[in-house]
Amino acid sequence: MSDARVRRPGEAAFAVIITAFSGFLLWTAYKISGFEALSSPGALPMASAGTMVVSAVVIAAQTLRSKPAGGQSLTRDIAPMPIVLTIIMVGAYALLLKPLGFLPTSFLFVAILIRVLGGQGIAFCAAVSAGSILLIYLVFRVIFNVIMPEGIVPEREILAFFGRLLPAGQ
Amino acid sequence: MQALNAFLIPILDLQLLGLVAIGTFAGIYVGAIPGLSVTMAVSILISFTFKWDIYPALSLMIGIFMGGVYGGSRTAILLNIPGAPAAIATALDGYPMAKRGEAGEAIGIVTVMSFFGGFMGIIALAVAAPLVSEFALKFQPRDYMLLAVIGILLVGSLSGDSLVKGVFAGALGVLIGTVGLDPLTMADRLTFQLPELRGGISFIAVMIGMFGISEALMQLHDVNKAAVKQKISRIVPSWGTVLKYLPLSLQSGSIGVIVGALPGRGGDIAALMAYDHAKRTTKNPEVPFGEGAREGLVAPETANNAAVGGAFIPMLTLGIPGDAVTAIMIGALFIHGLNPGPMLMIEKPDMFWFIVGALTMANCFMLLFGLTGIKVFVKIVEMPRSVLIPLIFLLSIVGAYAVNGSLSDVYWMLAFGVLGYFMKLYGYQLGPVILGVILSRLLDDNWRRAIISDQESLWLLLKGTVTSPLSAVLLLSVLAILLSKTKLWRRWRGQAA
Repeated sequence: MSDARVRRPGEAAFAVIITAFSGFLLWTAYKISGFEALSSPGALPMASAGTMVVSAVVIAAQTLRSKPAGGQSLTRDIAPMPIVLTIIMVGAYALLLKPLGFLPTSFLFVAILIRVLGGQGIAFCAAVSAGSILLIYLVFRVIFNVIMPEGIVPEREILAFFGRLLPAGQ
Repeated sequence: MQALNAFLIPILDLQLLGLVAIGTFAGIYVGAIPGLSVTMAVSILISFTFKWDIYPALSLMIGIFMGGVYGGSRTAILLNIPGAPAAIATALDGYPMAKRGEAGEAIGIVTVMSFFGGFMGIIALAVAAPLVSEFALKFQPRDYMLLAVIGILLVGSLSGDSLVKGVFAGALGVLIGTVGLDPLTMADRLTFQLPELRGGISFIAVMIGMFGISEALMQLHDVNKAAVKQKISRIVPSWGTVLKYLPLSLQSGSIGVIVGALPGRGGDIAALMAYDHAKRTTKNPEVPFGEGAREGLVAPETANNAAVGGAFIPMLTLGIPGDAVTAIMIGALFIHGLNPGPMLMIEKPDMFWFIVGALTMANCFMLLFGLTGIKVFVKIVEMPRSVLIPLIFLLSIVGAYAVNGSLSDVYWMLAFGVLGYFMKLYGYQLGPVILGVILSRLLDDNWRRAIISDQESLWLLLKGTVTSPLSAVLLLSVLAILLSKTKLWRRWRGQAA
């Protein structure tokens, strides 16, 4: 058990948040069909949410009892700037994927992140980003027929153009 | 004689042999790329092989299946990102080995043990198919429910030093698995009236978030550290190593065959159960479990490949899929005018022996391709982290999107990635969440079937459980797992020792 563990920065807050969230989920699960029947659609969600509440309460009690870890800080050891920045960038990527399209969004995302995390030169970042995205695009779009959002790039027209070239070349 | 001829078709026909080889090679790489699932690859394959003859179509699909189950272990070892759910347990000890510079040895052990496991599954399919399917037929809904409970309780063994955190994670997974429209009554469950949630939360999005995004975020703590140079001096393990782990491999293979043969169970559950078995039975591992124990690689990898042959048993003899891929394969057999089930064995025994032959060759190709080309693959992890991590993020995002072509899956993946990151930091294991999601449907369906057949009476359900030998054994297993986690048991074990 974790009684002997020291408490890391933010761990108590996390334990309290998951307890509250588990309680909210239990209430939501109860609203599915209440205690109507043991075979009701809400039975398993209630049982699992109930298990979450009980275990989260035990975890919270253990965490609040444990001693804080010395020499650790929230901004250095739990959520340092590169991590916060990356989460924001991944969020921005997801938001821009549809309007801008897969190719430009991915290019910007990879190039900027390599630059921010490693401090490499702009040409290097752009080359690595372009090369890797081309490879991923070929695997997903051409081989596996996964259609990624086109956005501002007329992908279908470009692929159709290359498609027309192939028979001509033969 | 007819059986032998059918068995030899995929071995002697060069075109079919080539297709098995291509399928296995492609399967290894499809399985290794997070987000590209074997299920997805086989589904897409059906769309352009349905006009083919049955033999070439099956050859390619069987190769992809066998290679894909094995391929997931590569990224599990090198990046701590299981390429497939069946490789979740492999990451627990494979990645610590890679961090110590022993990636080559880890991949070598995994490949050879997967080969053994694959053969055990094939032998079980060929020899014991009728017996195992007969056994699985005797399972009642309450037995399936108990099996699901055993699976979820086993997460306690996988959840590091805190059982209660493992139970929380497992329950969270079960809850995630129940989101969406109830398949029985079409009632909304935890959908918050959002249309996007009615189809449920994609398991792949949860898996990539929990294992891909959270691991990449964890790696950012050491972004400026030089990448571990993977030493690939020895890939093929020595005979001594193989012989040392052979008994564990045989035990794990048996678990894999049995679990794979149970309808609805696949290599992922087999691997986790075999890992747990290895953890319980290995008294003094050279390296502790979770820190690079070779037993932690041998057990899950033998089991998940043994489960491939096992999964074909109910599919071919009963017409019931052993897992998602065999479910798609049943569809493929229907497209080609075949009806999988007991009559298939009587009317088309040649088809059964052809599948056994194709699986045998796919297993041999898996060994060949698995022990070669690793050095090129390993170069990926020698890239600077500042380059590798953005690519892992991109691959994870694309993988999550590719499953359903839905941005909602990307948002879910991000949410679970951030949640997984904090859970990891605070000592929660992520494996139980995934196991919970996998078992949720099985648990829900069979709980409701069992309680309805017992007229909504818990007393009747309990009575039925203790009076049925099979259910009683399963119930005792549940109680034994619970008891083994109590302080009383540990004290008793301590005194006994």
